[in-house]
Amino acid sequence: MRFHIVKRDNGPFWQRCCYYVVAVVAALAVGAIILASIGVNPFEYYYKMFTMGTVGNKIAYKTFMNYLKEFVPLVLTSVALSLAFKMRFWNIGGEGQFIMGAIASAWVAFQFGAYLPMAVTLIFMCLAAMLAAGIYGLVVGALKVKFGTNETLMTLMLNYVALYVLYFIGETKADWNFFLQADSARPVFESFAEIAQFPSFSLGGKFELNITVILTVIIGVLVFFYLKYTKQGYEIGVVGDSANTAKYAGMKVNKIVLRTVFLSAALIGLASAFKVGTSGVLSTSVTNDVGWTGIIVAWLAKLSTPMIFVVSMLICVLQHGSTVAAVSFSQVDSSFANMLQGVILFLVLVADFFVRFRIVRVKKGGND
Amino acid sequence: MDKVGVITSFIHNIVLLNIPLLYGTVGEIVVEKSGSLNLGVEGTMAVGAIFGYICGCFADSMVVGILTAFIAGALFGLLFAALTVSLQANQNITGLTLTTFGLGIYFFVGNGLRASGNWPTISESLKDGFSDISIPLLSDIPIIGNGLFSHNVLVYLGIAIAIFMWWYLKHTKFGLRLRAIGENPAAADSVGINVKRSKYLHICLGCGIMGIGGYYMGLNMSGSFNASCWINGYGWIAVALVIFANWSPSVAIIGTFVFGFFNTLRVAGGSLALAFPDFLGWLADVPTQLYQALPFIITAIVLVVTSIKNKRGRSGLPAALGLNYFREER
Repeated sequence: MRFHIVKRDNGPFWQRCCYYVVAVVAALAVGAIILASIGVNPFEYYYKMFTMGTVGNKIAYKTFMNYLKEFVPLVLTSVALSLAFKMRFWNIGGEGQFIMGAIASAWVAFQFGAYLPMAVTLIFMCLAAMLAAGIYGLVVGALKVKFGTNETLMTLMLNYVALYVLYFIGETKADWNFFLQADSARPVFESFAEIAQFPSFSLGGKFELNITVILTVIIGVLVFFYLKYTKQGYEIGVVGDSANTAKYAGMKVNKIVLRTVFLSAALIGLASAFKVGTSGVLSTSVTNDVGWTGIIVAWLAKLSTPMIFVVSMLICVLQHGSTVAAVSFSQVDSSFANMLQGVILFLVLVADFFVRFRIVRVKKGGND
Repeated sequence: MDKVGVITSFIHNIVLLNIPLLYGTVGEIVVEKSGSLNLGVEGTMAVGAIFGYICGCFADSMVVGILTAFIAGALFGLLFAALTVSLQANQNITGLTLTTFGLGIYFFVGNGLRASGNWPTISESLKDGFSDISIPLLSDIPIIGNGLFSHNVLVYLGIAIAIFMWWYLKHTKFGLRLRAIGENPAAADSVGINVKRSKYLHICLGCGIMGIGGYYMGLNMSGSFNASCWINGYGWIAVALVIFANWSPSVAIIGTFVFGFFNTLRVAGGSLALAFPDFLGWLADVPTQLYQALPFIITAIVLVVTSIKNKRGRSGLPAALGLNYFREER
């Protein structure tokens, strides 16, 4: 008996949802088996992880505030990446662009923070980060357009160039290096939280909502409309489906590519400005791997902006929850979240296959 | 240390510290020649490292370690092949997730064993197995002899694998077929080459080789497990090195020493500057981060230069790299 695979049209919406729900549940089951095999009760662990230890916890509001601090950079980076991915431009340089943005915004804070009003400083920080990250991405876009340089490998290389620039800044004690504390013998990043920090608003009670969360939601809505209802958004999709079609339709493909890559990278820069502007200090691990995780999120969400918000929330629950749970379950390392994330994506990819294709048995003696 | 000794140990370290790069690179070349871009080298090496190390220690045998590392890597390859070859999943996404997944397993298993006090320590006999074996005559050459020709058995194995793979890709029927698949799978399929089987086989083989490279790292660190992964970015440098080597395993040997040279300067630059203050004293002033970034900077330049030259068709870049082959769409 032989089989072959045939493409199929999208099934009904609920059917596709079913596949993905099954995939996620199966992934959690795999995780449960792993937990059980090392002698941990999976239900207790999952309960702790998915509630992030907030049930019956007096400082639960702090957990939520920390959670949002991780959520904002991830979701914004992922939204930004989805712009490029829609165009089939493999921007895996999120890490590098994020770092460049972070350095630029910290530079603004140190150089101008003391003279300018805080609101102006913050706006300049965002603009500088967007410009730095945008240009860092645009270089790759230009090379791709001009010479056909492979953007996957190129952005990958630039990630590490940026990372070591950050290490250099963070590990070099020198007179010129205003990023570090002047009076510390060891190289430690100087804080600028006093002169530039995004404000938070109390929503009654102790929970405070940072303004970056609101801005992120607004940007999400804007990107959604940009992709869905504007000419430029439409062009991104056409170029992604077929650059030749776009060319024959009279679109300036190169211009669209450059514009979109810049926009994608600049939004990642904005994410880094939000991150740096909330924590008030640089760090060598400033990205928290959002450049990588963002790719997985964008893909899990099928590049749909609303879904990216949903998936980011869930992935952040995994990551934040696993660190919380690691306190009470000492034998389960917080890297469990990364493993589980991997299993989820693999099984969703399997589900993808069954959404896109069906398996047909080849009849004896016939061609189908 | 005397001046000759400094140079000898510098050369020795270039080889000792960087052979894992060669494993990773040769493995990735085999994978990429089949037209698959596996960005999961880092993760694949990590699982090879952790399982190779643990099983090697428990069995107290290097052979078991090597085999386990190979199998762990090959299983990762199988996962990659199943998802991208059979299930048509996107290669970039699958590869990147393989890295997240592999590093997740690495830390989960490693930290789990340490928390429960079961982390295996490396035995003396295993350490002896990893000690240097001098090649007679060649290792007696002054200065470079001990640096180049006195190494542990995994160094020789790595170079042997690289040379074998060069011969295999260039001079055998199977290698030719593999290259054909990487260039144009539909054309290869139409002349009766079993594209799927060849892809599966070579992806698993390549990933297995990466796994051994991971095991090497574990042994070289004497199994000291801490917050930074043993692989520590070598997998990514290997991805870069594949491009630098223009997809040739034999050039990869040279490339390993070029990248290794900078990598070793990072560690040994200070002692070189001390030994030769007159003309190498400036080495002490070079920031170490520059050495770390150099492989990536060089590769970025190589990428741009080859893409400019590529129009003349001299690059070893497989034409179908990164594209899935869907037979029904021929």
